[in-house]
Amino acid sequence: MTTTESTPLLSPQLLAQLERLELVSRKIFRGRLKGERRSKRKGQSVEFADFRNYVPGDDIRFIDWNLYARLDKLFLKLFLEEEDLHFYTLIDTSSSMDFGEPTKLQYAKQLAAALGFIGLCRADRVKIEALGDSRRGAAPAIRGRASMWRMLEQLNSIEPGNNISLADGVKDFCLRNTGQGILVLITDLMDKAGYESALRFLLAKNIDVYVIHVLSQAEIEPDVTGDLRLVDCEDADVAEITVSRPLLNRYKQTLATFIGGAREYCTRRGMSYLMTSTETPVEQLVGSYLRQRGLVR
Amino acid sequence: MNFIPALSAMQWVAIASVPPAIISLYFLKLKRQPVEVPSTYLWTRTIEDLHVNSIWQRLRQSLLLFLQLLILLLAILACLRPGWRGTKLIGDRFIFMVDTSASMSATDVGPTRLDAAKKQALAFIDQMESSDVAMVISFSDVPRIEQAFTNNRSSLRQAVNKIKQTNRRTNISEALRHASGLANPGRTSEAGTSDVQVADALPATMYIISDGGVPAVPDFSPGNLTAKYIKIGTATPKNIGIVAFSTQRNSEKPGQLQAFARLENSGEEDIEVDVALYLDGGLVDASSVAVPTDGAEGVNFVLNDIESATLKLEVQYNDDMSLDNAAFATINTPRRARVLVVTPGNDALKFAITTTAASKVADVSFAEPATLETKEHETLALSGAYDLIIYDRCVPKMMPESNTLFIGRVPPAEGWSAEAASPSPLVIDIDRLHPLMHLVELGSILIYESLPIKGPEGATSLIDADSGSLLTIAPRQGFEDVALAFELVGTYPDGDVNAKTNWPRRKSFPVFVMNALRYLGGARAGLAVKGSQPGQPIKLHTEVPAEQITVESPTGVHTKVPRESQNSFIFSHADELGVYVVREGSEREAGQHFAINLFDSRESDLVPREVIDIPYFDETTEQVGVHASIAEPSRKEMWKWLLIGGLIVLIFEWYVYNRRVYL
Repeated sequence: MTTTESTPLLSPQLLAQLERLELVSRKIFRGRLKGERRSKRKGQSVEFADFRNYVPGDDIRFIDWNLYARLDKLFLKLFLEEEDLHFYTLIDTSSSMDFGEPTKLQYAKQLAAALGFIGLCRADRVKIEALGDSRRGAAPAIRGRASMWRMLEQLNSIEPGNNISLADGVKDFCLRNTGQGILVLITDLMDKAGYESALRFLLAKNIDVYVIHVLSQAEIEPDVTGDLRLVDCEDADVAEITVSRPLLNRYKQTLATFIGGAREYCTRRGMSYLMTSTETPVEQLVGSYLRQRGLVR
Repeated sequence: MNFIPALSAMQWVAIASVPPAIISLYFLKLKRQPVEVPSTYLWTRTIEDLHVNSIWQRLRQSLLLFLQLLILLLAILACLRPGWRGTKLIGDRFIFMVDTSASMSATDVGPTRLDAAKKQALAFIDQMESSDVAMVISFSDVPRIEQAFTNNRSSLRQAVNKIKQTNRRTNISEALRHASGLANPGRTSEAGTSDVQVADALPATMYIISDGGVPAVPDFSPGNLTAKYIKIGTATPKNIGIVAFSTQRNSEKPGQLQAFARLENSGEEDIEVDVALYLDGGLVDASSVAVPTDGAEGVNFVLNDIESATLKLEVQYNDDMSLDNAAFATINTPRRARVLVVTPGNDALKFAITTTAASKVADVSFAEPATLETKEHETLALSGAYDLIIYDRCVPKMMPESNTLFIGRVPPAEGWSAEAASPSPLVIDIDRLHPLMHLVELGSILIYESLPIKGPEGATSLIDADSGSLLTIAPRQGFEDVALAFELVGTYPDGDVNAKTNWPRRKSFPVFVMNALRYLGGARAGLAVKGSQPGQPIKLHTEVPAEQITVESPTGVHTKVPRESQNSFIFSHADELGVYVVREGSEREAGQHFAINLFDSRESDLVPREVIDIPYFDETTEQVGVHASIAEPSRKEMWKWLLIGGLIVLIFEWYVYNRRVYL
């Protein structure tokens, strides 16, 4: 569980690969600062957007004098404003995330780092938060490539053990953050209260939501034998099983139903869902799967 | 099926408490290994689903419990010693003697008696303990050791399965000698050889599996051999068999041939059957015969004279044994006898031997007595070139390989002697039954003088006179020598050469010469080769000397037979019933035929005997002879199998436990 803790979240090769990528939002939102992203707002970028009639009070620097010479009317040239993007990453840090090889949490951190780095490179406003981390105060939003180290530091400081329910964590986040943009929720969805209410909060926020469902290989293909007493690491709930072929088959069926249910729930509500195993390398996930899903390009 | 509990009450209580203990241990849920998992969320949902399922799902999870209970159940059953009534062999050394004679081919017990006997022998072998030894002997008229003493039961089974049906008669004496030689010290299983111990002589039990159609064996002493007779066959079989079939020329009507057959009925009902006679495969005659139960009836057919043919007589009746429903006879081309007359001159004999009738049956050549000295003659005589040599007033240096007739001389062979000549013998009696004397009347003949000749052992006098025998016949290694005690023509004391008897002037003399040509010359008038019974060696002669002959059996098997010393051929593979064809040298044409028939009332009588008549004193019945019995009943136990089953389940349980085989 801890072997991967010391490994760097981002390898140089991955960094080189990530530099070429860009976060994509399917919606166009208003940013706060000028960035590299088109905004709804007309502004001062070099990209022409439209003309409109001049009304007194407008900045005369944007009047199209050539058009005035031809038509003898004052028109104002409108340019597209380029703005930054809010890119939120929410990491589930419950105890159940501290399993797997590497741990699901470590995997989540790597993924968050990779996506965050893409955002930083494109001057987006990157904000990485752990669920239920409000007591530490809201994590600061960071911008600019130079802030990568701050981001990594921030990620490394995330520890497992915040056994807050998914719904509470998401609700808390939504209350504190009002900005629009992209939200990537990295979780194992293992909440006995269900994940639906949590996702409903995100839905209400009208942001571009990506749910990345991380499972360890031990959860996908359990390698257990014998008469066992399974103890839940979060609530110490106990399940007694005697492993047999039908039981394993049953488990796989349940897992498939669970994954299928989550995917359907997300898809129906315009959220993107992606199930991944900790065995899948982050490079592959970002470079291939997320690219297909349209989160990066 | 019954049980003999092998444990005391306390032990039963102890063993009975084990299954509840195992079950309670399972219910107590042996300590489960705690494992921390990220979430029991999915597992709980999974087992919730399973809990909904039937109890069978739960039972399937405790496969090991079931296997353990099964092992225990088998062990308890083994302790109960279940068993049933079975049979057990007596003793620890067995000799299984299986009858393979012709009567064992009867189908009154399916499929045949031999199969039933083999089945019985196999059952005995199955009942043998692992330390028992046994041997398998099959017997018909000769015994055959199929398997020597062994404790390897698969070899014994193989040996029993290999036993084949024969068409032979039954003779158990050799088989008994084999068996007793192996069971008694100081005897051998081979007659006529020096006393060689062929096996450890130990008491043994001999099981004779037969229908009991065995001739009495008077000179048999079982020693420490215990005999048991297992009877095979139903009490009321039905069978009609041909026990004799022969052909003969009608002596009164020369152009006719008669065929006689004798049928026996061993069944319980009088039966009327159709009998058909086939000549070279074609039906020539048929007749209906009523054969009374346990009786016999003859049947007679008249045929026109035939030179060469094979006859088949068939009883058209579906009974339990088909082997004796057909009989065969052969008629071979008459061949003329080769006769040499060595004489210094004898017109009377020459006149009588060169008649038209005589030339039909014999090829006669003449030679001077001086010829006897030549090497050429010696070779011919010894090679069997002649059927008959007549020595008139002379004797050869060595007896030839043929029949001989000595006139006025004593044959130079062992056992022959003569006293001083006695004058004018008077004929007292003649043996009219002998073929040589057939129709010969010697009522009023005069004889000058005779040498009262004494023949060797086995010699028969055919003409008795007051001075002794005038005509003596004696066998010699397959041939016959005849000595006439008086000369026909001779030298009187005064040197005059003249007739010494008036017999040649009588009608009886040419008749006697014809008889001699027919009988001694082997001119068998076409009914030549005597049929034989299966398994017996057949002695064959060829017309011209040949190096080898080929014999074709009824099923088409060709056997080459090399020549023996006396221009005779011994064929010893006549095991099939039917007509055999003999080809001489490289000839393609059939030279002669001979028939092999069963012709045995004992084999045709299918009723199984209750007692085998051998000098054996049965202690249990206090009777002489081996009475039919069955193997003694004993308990068959299955605890060994139960324990083996338990062991197999234990291995399976170990495998399930270690490999986690999931059902």
